[in-house]
Amino acid sequence: MIQGALAGLASGGLYATIAVCLTVMSRLARVVNFAQVAVGMFGAFSSVWLAGPGVPMWLATVIGILVGATLSGIVGLVIATWLAEADVAVRSGVTVAALLVLIALSFILFGTKPLPFTPIFRGAAFTVGTVVISQITVVLVIVAVAVAVAARLVLTRTLLGLRLRALSERPITAELLGIRSRPLSVGVWIVSGIVTTFVVEIVAPSQSNDAVALSMTVVPAAAAALLGAFRRLDLAVVGGLVLGMLDGALAQLQGLALLRYFLPFLVIVGLLLWLQRGEVWDVAR
Amino acid sequence: MKIKAAAVATATTGLLILAGCSATGGSGSGGGSGGDTSPIVVGSVNALSGPATFPEASQAAKAVFDQVNKDGGIDGRKIQYQILDDKADPATAAAAAREIVESDNAVALVGSASLIDCQVNGQYYQQAGILSIQGTGVDQDCFQNPNISAVNVGPYGDTTMTLTYGSQVLGLKKICALVEITGNTGPAYKAAIAAWSQSTGKHLVLEDDTVPYGASDYTPYIVKAKEAGCDAVYSNAVEPDGIGQLKAAAAQGWNDVTFLYLTSVYSEQFATAAAQVGKGVYVPAEFAPYTNANSAKNADWLKLMTADKIPLTSFAQGGYLAATYFVQVLKSIKGDITRDSVTKALHDMTPISNPMVGTPWTFGTADTHNSNRAGWPIKLLSGTGKWQLAAVDWFKLNN
Amino acid sequence: MSPADRRVSPTRYGVPLLVAVVGLAAGWGLSVGLPDYYVFLGTSVIVAAISLLGLGVVTGSAGMMALCQLSFAVIGAWVTSELNLVKAPGNGILWMVAGAIAAGIVGLLVGLPALRLRGVNLAVVTLGFAAAVGLAVNQYQFPGTAIGVQVFRPQPFFTDRSFFLLSVIVMVIAAVIVYALQVSRVGSGWRAVAFSERGTASAGASVRTTKLSAFAVSAALGGLSGGLVTLQVGFASASTFAPLQSLALYVLAIVNGSYLVDMAVFGGILWVAVPEILKRLGIPQDWSLVVFGVLGVQALTSRTNLGEIVRAAARRRSEVVVLEPAALDDEVPDPTPDAPVLIVQGLGVRFGNVAALDGVDLTLRAGEIIGLIGPNGAGKSTMIDALSGFLPGHTGTITLDGRDLARVSPARRARLGLRRTFQQDRVPPSLTVEAYVRFVARRRVPRPELIDLLSFLGCPAPGTRLAAVDVGTRRLVEVAAQLASRPRVLLLDEPAAGLSHEEHLALGERLARIPIRYGASVILIEHDLDLVRGVCRRILVLDFGKVLADGDRDAVLSDKAVLAAYMGETELL
Repeated sequence: MIQGALAGLASGGLYATIAVCLTVMSRLARVVNFAQVAVGMFGAFSSVWLAGPGVPMWLATVIGILVGATLSGIVGLVIATWLAEADVAVRSGVTVAALLVLIALSFILFGTKPLPFTPIFRGAAFTVGTVVISQITVVLVIVAVAVAVAARLVLTRTLLGLRLRALSERPITAELLGIRSRPLSVGVWIVSGIVTTFVVEIVAPSQSNDAVALSMTVVPAAAAALLGAFRRLDLAVVGGLVLGMLDGALAQLQGLALLRYFLPFLVIVGLLLWLQRGEVWDVAR
Repeated sequence: MKIKAAAVATATTGLLILAGCSATGGSGSGGGSGGDTSPIVVGSVNALSGPATFPEASQAAKAVFDQVNKDGGIDGRKIQYQILDDKADPATAAAAAREIVESDNAVALVGSASLIDCQVNGQYYQQAGILSIQGTGVDQDCFQNPNISAVNVGPYGDTTMTLTYGSQVLGLKKICALVEITGNTGPAYKAAIAAWSQSTGKHLVLEDDTVPYGASDYTPYIVKAKEAGCDAVYSNAVEPDGIGQLKAAAAQGWNDVTFLYLTSVYSEQFATAAAQVGKGVYVPAEFAPYTNANSAKNADWLKLMTADKIPLTSFAQGGYLAATYFVQVLKSIKGDITRDSVTKALHDMTPISNPMVGTPWTFGTADTHNSNRAGWPIKLLSGTGKWQLAAVDWFKLNN
Repeated sequence: MSPADRRVSPTRYGVPLLVAVVGLAAGWGLSVGLPDYYVFLGTSVIVAAISLLGLGVVTGSAGMMALCQLSFAVIGAWVTSELNLVKAPGNGILWMVAGAIAAGIVGLLVGLPALRLRGVNLAVVTLGFAAAVGLAVNQYQFPGTAIGVQVFRPQPFFTDRSFFLLSVIVMVIAAVIVYALQVSRVGSGWRAVAFSERGTASAGASVRTTKLSAFAVSAALGGLSGGLVTLQVGFASASTFAPLQSLALYVLAIVNGSYLVDMAVFGGILWVAVPEILKRLGIPQDWSLVVFGVLGVQALTSRTNLGEIVRAAARRRSEVVVLEPAALDDEVPDPTPDAPVLIVQGLGVRFGNVAALDGVDLTLRAGEIIGLIGPNGAGKSTMIDALSGFLPGHTGTITLDGRDLARVSPARRARLGLRRTFQQDRVPPSLTVEAYVRFVARRRVPRPELIDLLSFLGCPAPGTRLAAVDVGTRRLVEVAAQLASRPRVLLLDEPAAGLSHEEHLALGERLARIPIRYGASVILIEHDLDLVRGVCRRILVLDFGKVLADGDRDAVLSDKAVLAAYMGETELL
């Protein structure tokens, strides 16, 4: 079981990073970005596709990150332009549609056969008992923590962070104060696209290249973000790592496959009910 | 609301009827009766979209038919090949079958490569009196239906072969099985493994048939197999999942494991994408391996595939063979080529040999069909990125 | 029955039944006339349309983002396959219905967390559910598929054509049921809860029950479609119900507004037609998801959908007809207040460190109208909220007709006869005046009574859509609707806001007659002291959460302390 849990730490690192991105997007862009991982998936697949005709690895990776950032920016632009005043649900609805489009486009453009990913990190880092902790695991966990810390620092210590927070809580007031909402919003989307694509580029070479499965890791990542109520970054990281380890541990037990599949759902439900236990009436409605 | 609903209903009905008329008017009219130049309509149902696609089989069959048409057709009649997509969705597969059988009035199905066509449409083909030469049969019904005869060994026969090769030729002692089950394939895989046990007297150390199809991370299952002390892993994974397993094993630093896979992973893309493969991936190729110098057997196929830029995979071989067999049977028909005459010819045919296959293929009147019972062992070693021959002759299943 | 009453019946039942018959006839005609291939496709259209109808209920009507519709179809398919496998009594039709019921129950269970979750949080939950079910069904085969047991269509409907006719029949029945629900109070409740939960509760409808009913109905329809497709194809397969398809279905439901029955059918046609057209054009089928996604983005950014566009185009641009208020011939009677109806003792509300209300006492007698005034922030709306149950954390006691209201929910208080209106607009614009009044009154208001009530307050005609009515008039409709429920106590929170001064006074004359005409006692919050002076014999003044004065109108309005509190805030002198 413990070995399974350690084996699941790699997925946990992925969930944690995506959870941090989701939390930041929720706070700053007022949206639950269902297409978060799909954007990264598309960018990663693009860089592999570019590496085919002989583009050097590092350049292909950079271009892939740019592709992911651009896609994320386009979605953000659409939302910021037409849905600036809409509520979270409608804005998130657009990301649902984007998720659909991105997965379908990846089938069309990249096909469904395995792609020759060249790993950026490969092999083992160290061994715990009989389970090998891969380099990817270590890198992902470090990245998750680093992104969380960086986000917190930017949001609380910099002027940019202040502007972003003002923009997210009171968009109209911020506009009146001279904070240019659309460029800042799109900027947030672009940065989240960069981070996500970078992480997916790291993790994709070690996994089977199924566009749908990869994009759907947004579900356990959302469960992890919910631990922090889409507000706290530290809990998002912890939630992601714990969820990954739980998932790995449960995978070892053959009979509990069903529980394993429903784990994110149960976590989500449990957390939401707990978080909203005192709330009876939504203030605004 | 009444007026609007009625208007919508009328408009839609009109549209559908128009479309229907154009569809039935366009394709070959009637049963293609005597001495005319109307095309011979042939169809196929394939997984062409969604997460798992096998487009090469029908592409290869089309290449064969195009070549035949260029050479003048059959008795002056051209072959019109309808390639339909079932999107891995049973309702779409059933609709596709109906389009081929009823709208297009095809004489036979040739070269289908689908995960569900046989299971969904098997009975329908029996009712319609039409035969199907599967380019690649996957689900169990492709081998247990009197109206379907596949040209490939099939994943079940292939399973028995790869396990037998692993235990008897490679001398692997402790084999773990990671099996992905979809649809009604469970019992068939179990039976295939049991057949291996019976003929070799050996047993699996671990059998896990809860391995998910299309998961993104197979580490837990690899860890389980490693913990059980296995020196070989058998899996029926398709290409993406196979890569996932290989990567998980490499990440775990498991370098002394041998992988026993099925023909479904025999493709150049797989070889390029797989970097570290332990002590090697061994596959009993259902058709003559096309990599390396054995191309003599595959010369005609290779020429056709490269001319039409079709990816070189076992699916492409299967589609090519299905079409080639079909054309040969067509040429043997004296008189009109209709669904009935084609069915009769396939029932009465003598087995056809082809250097690409280890055993001759036939349709015949049996209730089940499993003509291809031989595989050519090939291997993929770490760091090579290419498939190589592992034997000099066919490896045959005993029964 | 007078002609006015008789007029109600054809609109309610005649037209839908006629459409149902036309639909059945069209379906029979299609089943006979269409080529084989299109008959089969037609069945797929119906399957998708039923799913979309369900999505229309939960997402379109009740405003909840549900991304797991096909997971309910899995339940339906599962039950149908299982019953077929164990050779349960009955045939496919019965099993399909059983599957629908089972899915409805699962929908209730999934809907339970929905009670507390709004908007996007619910979307996350349902997506998690869809992903989990998708993985589970990939792993565990549907009953009977592992051994190749087929689910056969029931005997008279065995061929493709007859099965198409069966599916049309099923669709028509489902559509009629959904339509009946939509025009009933249940459907009004769905639309109300989509717009405002507080508004729904204030109408005496439990928010929990309303949301759960929407979920259960949509899940049942999803289950029905799952059973139907299992019978169509002969067995169920995981790929049909993939989470990706649930997302695509959701997006399509947004695009065409499938809470309207004809739009659900049209959506089903789109679901099948788009891939078909792509196929004929030789374009790979994956593009159909791209098409749906792009259409979805377009629909979301334009905040409308196909159904609304079609409806708006077809609708006659008519003016809002306001009923002529009947002349008031009777003198405003002097109220002789009777026994106490509402007794409030020591009411206190704290928000953090701030005491919004502190030790408020109030006794409302039957037939009385009390004016509740005070400067901004004095706690007037807070008091109404506390009285009507929206602030369950208050201290003190509230007694209605001798019954202690502690821990009684707002919906229940409304049903007990304690009604209120809101300062913000909480009247769902998607309803008509009549539907809204019926919903709030919780009964079928006979048409003469309805006309009388609406004209009393100067409201628009019953058939008017509330979206076409301005905010001030909508507030009057709210008052009328609450009156229609024959409350014991009516709390009015600035009902005249948004009306001109003359209209204020006209309203005042009406309000004064409420106790006599409708038997309700009133607490009225108003800033317009003219209106208060004309309507209320007794006035309660709040300041900083405390009662500043309570007594006869003239005495209170000349009280020095009251004037001092209002210094600089008087609206008139």
